[in-house]
Amino acid sequence: MASVIKPSKSDRAFNVFVVASLVLLFIILFIPIWSTITLSFRPNDFIGSALDGMTLPPWRWSVAAFRALLGNNSFVKATINSFRIFFEGIAAALLLTTPLAYALSIKTLPGRKFLYLFVIIPYLFDVGLVPNYLLVTGLGLTNKLAAVYLPGAISVYNTLIMKSFFEGIPEELKESARIDGASEFTVLMRIILPLSKPIMLTIGLYYGVRFWNDFFNAMLYLNDSALQPLPILLRNILLSSGMNEYVEVSAFGEAPIEAIKAASVLLAAIPMLVAYPFIQKYFVKGTMLGSLKG
Amino acid sequence: MKKFLQVAMVLLFAGVIVVSVSAQGTKKPVTIDLWYGAAITEAGPPPDDWVVYKVVRDKLGIELKLTALPSNESDQDVKVLAAAAANQLPDLFMVRRDPWITLIKQGLVAPVDDMYPLMPNRAQNYFDEDSISFTTINDKSYGMAVPGSLQKNEGLVIRKDWLNKLGLKMPTTLDELYNVLYAFTYKDPDGNGKNDTYGYGAFVELFDQEQYLGRRFEPIMGAFGVAGTWNMTKTDFGLNVKKPEYYEALQFVKKMVDNKVIDPDWPSLKKDDFRAAWKQGKFGVMREQFAALAAAANYAPFDKNFPNGEWVALAPPKGPKGKSATGVSDANYRIYAVSARAQKAGKKEAIAKLMDWMASDEGYRLLGWGVEGVNYSVDATGNITDKGVPDDTKFSSPKGQTVTQLRNMVFYNSDLELNARYPYFTTANGRKQGPLLYLKTFQGYPWVNVTGMGTIMPPASNAADLKRYINQGVQEFVLGKKPLTKENYDAFVAQMDKLGAAEWEKTAKAQMQENGYLK
Amino acid sequence: MADTVPAGMVAPTKSGTNQLWRNVKRHKSIYILSSISIIYFAIFKYVPIWNSQIAFRDFQALQGVVGSPWVGLRNFSDFVHSYYFWELIRNTVMYSVGKMIISIPSAIFLAICLYECRINFLRKTVQTLAYLPHFLSWVIMYGIIMALLSPSSGLLNDIIKLFGGQPVSFMTDTNSFPWIVLLSDAWKESGWSAIIFLAALMGIDPSLFEAAMVEGASAWQRVRYITLPSIRPVIVMVFLLRMGTILDAGFNQIFMLYSLPVYSVADIIDTWIYRQGILEFRFGLATAVGLFKGAFGFILLFVSNKLVRKTSGTGLY
Repeated sequence: MASVIKPSKSDRAFNVFVVASLVLLFIILFIPIWSTITLSFRPNDFIGSALDGMTLPPWRWSVAAFRALLGNNSFVKATINSFRIFFEGIAAALLLTTPLAYALSIKTLPGRKFLYLFVIIPYLFDVGLVPNYLLVTGLGLTNKLAAVYLPGAISVYNTLIMKSFFEGIPEELKESARIDGASEFTVLMRIILPLSKPIMLTIGLYYGVRFWNDFFNAMLYLNDSALQPLPILLRNILLSSGMNEYVEVSAFGEAPIEAIKAASVLLAAIPMLVAYPFIQKYFVKGTMLGSLKG
Repeated sequence: MKKFLQVAMVLLFAGVIVVSVSAQGTKKPVTIDLWYGAAITEAGPPPDDWVVYKVVRDKLGIELKLTALPSNESDQDVKVLAAAAANQLPDLFMVRRDPWITLIKQGLVAPVDDMYPLMPNRAQNYFDEDSISFTTINDKSYGMAVPGSLQKNEGLVIRKDWLNKLGLKMPTTLDELYNVLYAFTYKDPDGNGKNDTYGYGAFVELFDQEQYLGRRFEPIMGAFGVAGTWNMTKTDFGLNVKKPEYYEALQFVKKMVDNKVIDPDWPSLKKDDFRAAWKQGKFGVMREQFAALAAAANYAPFDKNFPNGEWVALAPPKGPKGKSATGVSDANYRIYAVSARAQKAGKKEAIAKLMDWMASDEGYRLLGWGVEGVNYSVDATGNITDKGVPDDTKFSSPKGQTVTQLRNMVFYNSDLELNARYPYFTTANGRKQGPLLYLKTFQGYPWVNVTGMGTIMPPASNAADLKRYINQGVQEFVLGKKPLTKENYDAFVAQMDKLGAAEWEKTAKAQMQENGYLK
Repeated sequence: MADTVPAGMVAPTKSGTNQLWRNVKRHKSIYILSSISIIYFAIFKYVPIWNSQIAFRDFQALQGVVGSPWVGLRNFSDFVHSYYFWELIRNTVMYSVGKMIISIPSAIFLAICLYECRINFLRKTVQTLAYLPHFLSWVIMYGIIMALLSPSSGLLNDIIKLFGGQPVSFMTDTNSFPWIVLLSDAWKESGWSAIIFLAALMGIDPSLFEAAMVEGASAWQRVRYITLPSIRPVIVMVFLLRMGTILDAGFNQIFMLYSLPVYSVADIIDTWIYRQGILEFRFGLATAVGLFKGAFGFILLFVSNKLVRKTSGTGLY
């Protein structure tokens, strides 16, 4: 029973320090984000400095940039593609990562050390663009969405985190099941997996974010414009250069170009931002159990 | 019996004829994979039911598969080179010069000399001697040159309203220009009481023909006679950066930087930021492209902010020896190459047919503007215009832009194109404005003709490091990171030579002389 | 209950071998399930390693991987003798070590502050704000940074001008550029990295804290003697994992932020590879440098793991 101890002077100073730090951090985090938000609502006739831009009153804000983007057919298609990559990728990644991580976590598994070595070695050798390109195209994955997530469907980093999580599940649970005659398969299915929701969501999100933001694989392997996901579209918008010499028309109408850029980035980030709060509680629990055993 | 045999023979003959005739009629369509440079990448690709697909299938027996290249140039290169490394280049594709040369060395693109006779339509407006020699390496032509943007379509422009407010005349010499820049920076030309304007505005825009500080500084380099990457005269051939006049030019730019008469963001700005800046009245003198300046959509934000603002063309200033130039002018082509794979699969004839159809009157209009009555209409004087068609399908609308993504493959800067693309409009204070107002003036100013420079082969080795060394060095001098003294500059040039510049000059000179480009 | 032979060890006696075999049979389902993963791994990780032999060849696209002529160590020697080699190594190491030094402690600091904060509203808001930048690409980060640091229109310079100072071009200044890289990376990633530490913190047994309170420990002491040591294994793991990829200094970031005037402090191995190896079609060279990076990282990881093992008993393996 914790007794209520009056906070000492040094404890109060500590609390003040913590709160002050967080407020400072809040400001540091907020200002750049706020600058992006105000940039995305910037009207076409704005003149002024950055400070002026960030303090522009809301009635002067313009939604032209968002309207242009959401009305753009490619933008909608690209979003759908990104969602497909996101969900398919997570499914593939979890299906492939989980057995491996679990196998590595079983201390009594014969050959575990070799498996571990087998898994760790590629982690240290970034072989670069060409060897991977030769493989992926050789497998016939060109112009298939899977080319974006399949090469990265098992990440050693995530596997190790998942392994830690499995190691953190009390051995007694497994033992008692074994004593009752359960096979390893049953142990996995009946005991381990039901407890694994937090880590699945966590690792799933780790993978998902990476697949969502990928543009390099998409650029290399997806030739068909109908398949291109958001990052490619974004990159074309944000980095358009001399090739688009049809400078007399804009694909986006009335909004200033920097508003388009800011708005497109915000729109692309929204799904992630919306998803996270929902799984936040599982997420933290999952990482927590995964990290205990280091 | 005899009769029977006779009838059988006739029937057999008839059967053979019928079979062979129908076999000819049902020839399988040839699939052509085309990687194209989109006109406006972010507008999106042509729709699946695009009329061109049908026409090409029915008329030419070609199944066309399109892929838009990324809008960013190094992304384009990466995509093409990665496909090349896996020997998976598409049948027909646009490619920039440097990667194209690499592909030729690797044997991955096919010679196209035998395709030219199959393209009579193209020969008319596109394939002249210059364009074929542009794509000729070692006596074989390895790509089809498609005209790029209009030549000499950029120029110096200055804020006339600022000049008027400060009671200044249009500068004609470099020194006069400097004084104007100074006044623009420190004498509050926009009269808003704030010290927020600069004289000159620029950003680093490098092309093969315009290295070192880039295209936006060329009018100043031209005043010293060192515009462009190479000096293309017979007597003085070489890299301009090594000439003594270049040192003087750098001194002038350094003066601009030191006295802050140039917008200090210039080293790190990207093109869009630069354009946003002049629309917000940040600076009063710049080199800009005619349509980027004065097309309705681009001018509108500036007009709204500054209804009395006025940009007028400014002749490039004369330097100490009386020289002047807006920059260099060279033929500007896009290269469309045919992969060795496509040649192996026997597709060259079909590709030639496709390219030729695109240049035919039907193809030209379909690819350039769309369908008459839907995307464009023809006015009384025979000009193509976007008036008189529904707003959401006219060729300048977002939807209309998707069906004209391939226009870069057929446009050749004809009058028809110019009048359609650059209509006039009225500004907020009632003036007539439009890109064509500037174009003729820009084209009339002095330019240094450097035909052939675009075909100089890159140095045999160390190209990237050499380029970086030179461009980085020049910037460091101008920004004051390295003191700009004769000593330092000589050392800079000496190291450049060590990295391969001297060797490069030798081979480039031989190449240019051989091809008769040195005047 | 039979003694279990430690995994991987083959006992010499007949009963040991039997035991091993029994273990294998009992885990049969695990082997089967993970066989797909293993096959995937073999294909997607090891075939590229086979392909990477082009590091020792002069790669010609038409001849393929094994058909290209062998050149031994020439690609490696080209890299080591390139004009900018030492500068590249210096910059690469500077950024990856610098990021580790700045971002790991700042993530820990953030996690602890969040953990210790009693004001729910503040804690939740800061936590959410902190992980958001992780989702922003470096392309927009460039825009955000320019909005802050541009000499003519940036927020920071606006403030400097307000106080009568002269605007500074931070992005093209060789002294400030490295800081921009390190701080912007910390800003973008600390919140996301803090999640791991925060989770670890939540896993600390509360009774430890209670005991400390009873003993009269101050909050500072509590953090120093209980909180930090408790999450030590996680810190070590994160640290070691980053050591393995030490030569990955952040291509996307540098690529977006750098410009010619700061090449001397900004150019890293990956940006150099991008220009020389890929844009110039020297794929053998690009792969060779990749292997070089991998070997370096491996040695570093090995050494640091040994050191950490010696001093604290825990390690990556």
